[in-house]
Amino acid sequence: MSKVCNILPMSAVNVLNLVKKYKDFEAVKGLSFDIKEREIFALVGPNGVGKSTTLKMLSTILSPTGGSVEIFGLDIVKDSKEIRKIISYLPEEAGAYKTLTGYEYLRFMASIFFRDKKQVLKTVEYGAEICGLKDKLKDKVKTYSKGMTRKLLLSRAVMIKPRFAILDEPTSGLDILNSFEIRKIIKQLAKDGMTVLLSSHNMFEIEFLSDRLGIMNNGKLLACGAPRDLKEKFSTNDLEEVFIKLIQ
Amino acid sequence: MRIFFILLKKEIKEMLTIPLIVSLVAVLFVFYMIGSVVGKQNKTSAARNNVVVLDFDKSGLSKRIIKSLTDGEYIVKDASSGNLLDAFSNHEYEEESFFMVIPKGLERDFNLEKKHTIEIYARFNKNLSGYSSSYSASKIRKGIERINKDLGVHIIEKKFPLANVEFIKNPVLMEEFVVIGDSIARVSVKRVLLFVHSQTYFFPIAVFFLVFMAAQMIMTAVAGEKENKTLETLLSSPIDRRILVISKLSAAAIVAALLSGGYMFGMRSFMSGIMGQKTAGIALSAQDAFVKLGLIMGPADYLMIGVSLLFCILCALVIALILGVLSEDVKSVGATMTPLMMLIMISYLLPMFIDIGRASFVVKLLLYSIPFTHAFIAPQNILAHNHAAVMWGIVYQAVIFAIFVTIAGKIFSGEALLTFKLRFGKSK
Ligand SMILES: Nc1ncnc2c1ncn2[C@@H]1O[C@H](COP(=O)(O)OP(=O)(O)OP(=O)(O)O)[C@@H](O)[C@H]1O
Ligand SMILES: [Mg+2]
Repeated sequence: MSKVCNILPMSAVNVLNLVKKYKDFEAVKGLSFDIKEREIFALVGPNGVGKSTTLKMLSTILSPTGGSVEIFGLDIVKDSKEIRKIISYLPEEAGAYKTLTGYEYLRFMASIFFRDKKQVLKTVEYGAEICGLKDKLKDKVKTYSKGMTRKLLLSRAVMIKPRFAILDEPTSGLDILNSFEIRKIIKQLAKDGMTVLLSSHNMFEIEFLSDRLGIMNNGKLLACGAPRDLKEKFSTNDLEEVFIKLIQ
Repeated sequence: MRIFFILLKKEIKEMLTIPLIVSLVAVLFVFYMIGSVVGKQNKTSAARNNVVVLDFDKSGLSKRIIKSLTDGEYIVKDASSGNLLDAFSNHEYEEESFFMVIPKGLERDFNLEKKHTIEIYARFNKNLSGYSSSYSASKIRKGIERINKDLGVHIIEKKFPLANVEFIKNPVLMEEFVVIGDSIARVSVKRVLLFVHSQTYFFPIAVFFLVFMAAQMIMTAVAGEKENKTLETLLSSPIDRRILVISKLSAAAIVAALLSGGYMFGMRSFMSGIMGQKTAGIALSAQDAFVKLGLIMGPADYLMIGVSLLFCILCALVIALILGVLSEDVKSVGATMTPLMMLIMISYLLPMFIDIGRASFVVKLLLYSIPFTHAFIAPQNILAHNHAAVMWGIVYQAVIFAIFVTIAGKIFSGEALLTFKLRFGKSK
């Protein structure tokens, strides 16, 4: 196996030779990378290369077929219960409970993580603030547009201020302004101490947001590094070109 | 525990949707309406005990026949002035359905001991359906029996003036006894059957409705969570997955219980509308016999039926939960539910048409191995003093429930929840 990413012992997240097989199809074929604390790490790659599969394994909802993942020193198989307390996962193309209002949804999710009523209230207030839905929060989720739902879900994922946030295409479906807002929020949260793993198809977003990125194809990591370093390596000043050169 | 109630509240909110409530209210309304309309119509047709008589003999005998009818609480309308066709077309008799023609020469032939014919015309009101048609048929048959019996008495009176007519009418007295288990009571079989029927009539329908609704709700709820990926969110959260399963089951059971309560209420007003107070009167006069036969269920009996019903619902719910997890999305729930529905249908319908006790071994095995059957037949078993059968049924249901809960737990702790898809029809 070629070593595309250096694994540092001090990392917040360590992924080593991760493999996932669906029945007879191998979606992830020996993935290794690490994420440092407070870092925003992005996984990019064409459709169907195993980004979401990787994210789901790190979220403890799929079990790996091989390899290992450690999140803050906890093993995703053995210590999945402990890990679930410190992570937050935003699935791609997700919805919320249609019969609840946006506000009720935030409160429901907050009360899963916190016992204390005051803390729940504070969390919901924070979530309501970052989603920017204002009065619409009093409406049922089923009346929301795609982008509104996405904003609600993203705020839900980060409002609990998890140590490690796993965001699968966080800004997909959002307009330019909202994407911009959300990116700013993610960046701020990382500064405040949150470690982030996200996937995206938007190179501009990745360049703005991520400290490092990994480019995936066919379940494997092709390159890994800071946007600047990758551009330098491929002697171009466009990240998209790096991507195209690698995939072709 | 706190998490459980948070989840329960959310689940109930999800399940108790406005369309569901509207459909329940609609069903109740339909039942209520049918019940009251049918009840009213039956009252009017019961009141209309009318016979239009065309007496062309105008003899002592024909008078006697008419008297025999009036004694039998028939209201006789005399249309002897015209012929039969006149009577049919006469506006006055527009609503009548029972016509009798007493031909000329009846008394003469009667005295010569020659058989003669009285014609009965039953007129249908435009359509051949409805309760009143079969009601008229039995009314007419009773009327003819009455006349024949009365004429028999008339002959005896004439030939043997000294005979004890009352004795000849009923030379032997019949006494009916009913035996159930060790209990014997003097009561007519018909009454006991009617009573048992009235006690066990609603039950299977309500159980069926209840199980169906509960299964559908939980399947839609789970498949919906899968479709919306809210399940993935919950699974990656610190919620204990067992609590996730239990809260879903509880919410569906609670909502189903509410619905079935409403449903039973609707059924009751429907049935009481149809049966009227007649059945109640019969039940009352035979009350002592029913008590003696142990047909009046006590609190312990109701408790047993309740427990059996509870486990029946729980079994259906946990199976539905598993099927829901395996269905791809809400749309495919209908198809995925089919296996469960088939089991419920078999255990609901088959015991209504066959006597399980006398069924072949294979049929028996089939029925008893379906956990729902035990709840469907619980009331019959209780009324037949077969408490052991109910007990064993509950034990069996509990075992099945435990097995399926274990399976559901396994599924929820693994990843099959997200990767396994049950597809009907062509796969993509
Ligand atoms: N439940 C499943 N069963 C079988 N194969 C699956 C399953 N889920 C995903 N796959 C396959 O695994 C591969 C990787 O899928 P994954 O969703 O991880 O891709 P992705 O990189 O997130 O793509 P996209 O950019 O379109 O979101 C795909 O080829 C897909 O067909
Ligand atoms: Mg994906």
